[in-house]
Amino acid sequence: MAGGYSGKILRVNLTTKQIGTIDTAKYEEFGGGHGIGSAIFFDLVGDQLPFPAFDPRNLIIMIASPFSGTSVPGSGRCEVQGLGPMLYPIEWFGHSNFGGRFTAQLKFAGWDGIVVEGAAQDPVWINIVNDKVSIESARGIWGMDTWDTQDEISRRVLPQLKHGEWAELSNDANTTQVPAVVCCGPAGENKSRLGALLHGPGSQAALCGFGGVFGSKNLKAISAIGTGVVPIADPKALMDARLWFRQFLWDVDNPREAERFGGVFPYTLIGGSPSGGNILNRELPLTPARAAACASCPRGCRMRLSTADSNESVCAGTMMINVDGSVKFTRQGNDLMQKYGLGHWQLRPTMNYAMLLYKEGVLGKGKQIESDIPFDREGTFDYAAAIMRAIALREGAGNELAEGAARLAEKLGRYKQDVDSGKLKLTYWGLEEHYDTAIAAEWAFGSILGERDLMLHMIANYPIHWMAMSGDPYLTAEETAKLYADAMVPYQGDVFMVDYSDGPTGIYSDSTVKLVAWTKHYEKFWIGAGGFCGWRWPMCITNNTADRRGPTPQAEPRFWNAVTGKNISFADGMEIGHKIYTLDRAIWCLQGRHRDMEVFPDYAYEEKTSGYDVPMYIDGKWQYANGAGRTLDRGKVEDFKTRFYKFEGYNPENGYPTRATLEKTGLTRVADTLQSKGKLG
Amino acid sequence: MSEKQQSGVNKKMSRRNFLAAGGAAVAADALIIASVPAPLAAQASAPARYPESRGYLVYDSKKCIGCTACMLSCSLTHYGYQSLSLARIQIMQDSFGKFPNDLKISPCRQCKYPVCVTSCPVGAVYVDEANGNVRRIDSKKCVGCKTCIKMCPQQPHRTIWNHIEKKSSKCDLCVDTPHWNEKGGPGGKQACVETCPMKALKFVAEMPDQKETDGYDVNLRNNHWLNLGLVDNSKVIPPRQAAEAAGDKTTKINGNAE
Repeated sequence: MAGGYSGKILRVNLTTKQIGTIDTAKYEEFGGGHGIGSAIFFDLVGDQLPFPAFDPRNLIIMIASPFSGTSVPGSGRCEVQGLGPMLYPIEWFGHSNFGGRFTAQLKFAGWDGIVVEGAAQDPVWINIVNDKVSIESARGIWGMDTWDTQDEISRRVLPQLKHGEWAELSNDANTTQVPAVVCCGPAGENKSRLGALLHGPGSQAALCGFGGVFGSKNLKAISAIGTGVVPIADPKALMDARLWFRQFLWDVDNPREAERFGGVFPYTLIGGSPSGGNILNRELPLTPARAAACASCPRGCRMRLSTADSNESVCAGTMMINVDGSVKFTRQGNDLMQKYGLGHWQLRPTMNYAMLLYKEGVLGKGKQIESDIPFDREGTFDYAAAIMRAIALREGAGNELAEGAARLAEKLGRYKQDVDSGKLKLTYWGLEEHYDTAIAAEWAFGSILGERDLMLHMIANYPIHWMAMSGDPYLTAEETAKLYADAMVPYQGDVFMVDYSDGPTGIYSDSTVKLVAWTKHYEKFWIGAGGFCGWRWPMCITNNTADRRGPTPQAEPRFWNAVTGKNISFADGMEIGHKIYTLDRAIWCLQGRHRDMEVFPDYAYEEKTSGYDVPMYIDGKWQYANGAGRTLDRGKVEDFKTRFYKFEGYNPENGYPTRATLEKTGLTRVADTLQSKGKLG
Repeated sequence: MSEKQQSGVNKKMSRRNFLAAGGAAVAADALIIASVPAPLAAQASAPARYPESRGYLVYDSKKCIGCTACMLSCSLTHYGYQSLSLARIQIMQDSFGKFPNDLKISPCRQCKYPVCVTSCPVGAVYVDEANGNVRRIDSKKCVGCKTCIKMCPQQPHRTIWNHIEKKSSKCDLCVDTPHWNEKGGPGGKQACVETCPMKALKFVAEMPDQKETDGYDVNLRNNHWLNLGLVDNSKVIPPRQAAEAAGDKTTKINGNAE
């Protein structure tokens, strides 16, 4: 393993207290991150599926990528995998993802990742200091919020470290860095299905409920710090690539078209300017702040404020709690969400559903679900604090809400009624609709053909949709389609991949089949295995260059080859992405997945959409349009799925991967397991 | 590097002689106690002992986003691998802290009175007259006694311990970057400066104010930065918002996204 890898993955069994290693080389064919994680999950427990997410057999897998700890831009993410208790109706093998410094420190400590098995008898945390790994008692930490937990663990790991000074870590090696800690909060401890993992004050692994899995394992936190090095196969090539990449960045001193889009938030979405991810510091008077980045990120979408509230939270981390008339209390309300370790993306639909039940007289004092949560004070800090506390600690009605909106609706016997009617828009696997299901094809299909909300903004959402929404797009719809068609290797040349009309070349077409396949393959390899950030990659277009071309697809293999010493093409990476997606799909099939489950709720076929601005090819002309009034066509969706399964090498009757596809991608052992379980396509 | 290229003021002691004199660590401690006050005192009375460096790194600690890319490029270009511990510029952050005290940047100051040079017992730290008087460490001469690290008056110390090679190191303004295709040093490029996506690091030829402890921490921001909403004073109104308040409707503020 020439570069990028440390060579070993940490394996910790909390039941037996055994600490061992897995050779990374055994899984190198999967690249890193998500790919290696899926393969390890399959190898360790695949033949035992299905079993519940809170079963000690479930795994917490966090594998770094070859890019982690390097200067490859936008590679500071950490992929978390395991059975996700948040997901519905089955706790699918899922993934979530957080930014910051964790994977970088893991690599500097000499590890390519960590796999946690079993469950501890008493609360513990895992302490990684270079090659020394120990399971420590969480006595005095269990019960703390996520911020205090990180502070206390940092103190226990490096009591001698003071901010701005060197500390000797081990073996005569020094650091000025603080330990990177990822932990659950009270929500996770109480096995809430909304339980998130927190790293720093605002970096959440929000989806899937892995905070709850930590709690089920009596695992409070994992801390990593190291003083080692990440080997680079071709240092000169990496340095050259990093400096070549500057042309695609938003120039902070002299940005192209700085005045074009107006407002901070639009141009952070479109141009990738710093700081705009925090929406809670845009009104005058502004709170002094810096833009703050994850490891190696040239964008820095977060902020750290002079008041230290909403530090490092972005997007949903700054907008799930709203306190009327007070930015200050709104920030603190969202911070409270982070401290409890509540997954922001599922907290909102759960709170909204609770309010709906309250208004319908189902939930409240003396109602079917008894509750003293002050729903009549919605919009106040007190209300937000009360409902979050109830959910995190499972107090009163919070015990029901901690199961998430989907399972609460099911318990009340109204899941189908509320979801199909659109009252409760849980569009894919128990998660809330994110973008327009009838228009944003890669998002909708990519989610329902996956296991969770796609959550990939940079495929088309930020670069195309928000450019169109700006009112002053820097590319015409036709120009956008052409540039995307150039970038989307190996399906290059098909301009209709970004035709979001519902005409012959639109969202039900073979072109969109390719768009969705491209999305899933990119998701699995370049983002999942490469550790790239979904707010940075891919970059098919950009207004930061004169010709509007982004670094995709040149940058990805250029960085990969410089770091690892391999010689892969962009298409090679996408093929590995197909392999990883196929493996994930095989695992879902072992859990009970069938194509009949991959359907949207009725409202998506019946409720007219309000629209979503994207390129559409209508009457022989490209234009930006929003498709308002459209509903999905059930027959066309099913026909689309059939063609998608065939395209990916899965049996269209059931969506199971075929033996031919599995063997072609080197997954023969997976085919054997599927066959033994009657799940081979 | 020839002897002529080094400042001739250092004690000349070979590695063999130095180790023979009682071991590096013990001797280093002894040297700190016995000999250091004299050079320091000498600086006060005769300040112009060394030619000034013709290059310095200045920075804007309020513009830095803490990505640590400068650190990684530093170790990459000098050693061929990436490491935070070996980087000759250090970025230290408290994610939970309050701006601007949440982050500190510490590059070597290329001191006017380089204590690392004066204190090195074997003459390994020197003023490189052939390369703009940059204060450098000759790793072949370094015996790993850590005296330069202990004597660096800055906090954190700017001389860096390389625990792999068991040598001291320090910023050379990229004079010696075998893993980079660019020429470094004064007149050349610096890996950290080139890498910084925020342009929060800058090479300057003039010596920064030595009297102020933050003389190297300068303002490198312009109105484009303010227009991001990133101010260091709540009274500051970004030009864009000021224009809007004045009735200029040519720029639009769009709605929120998720």
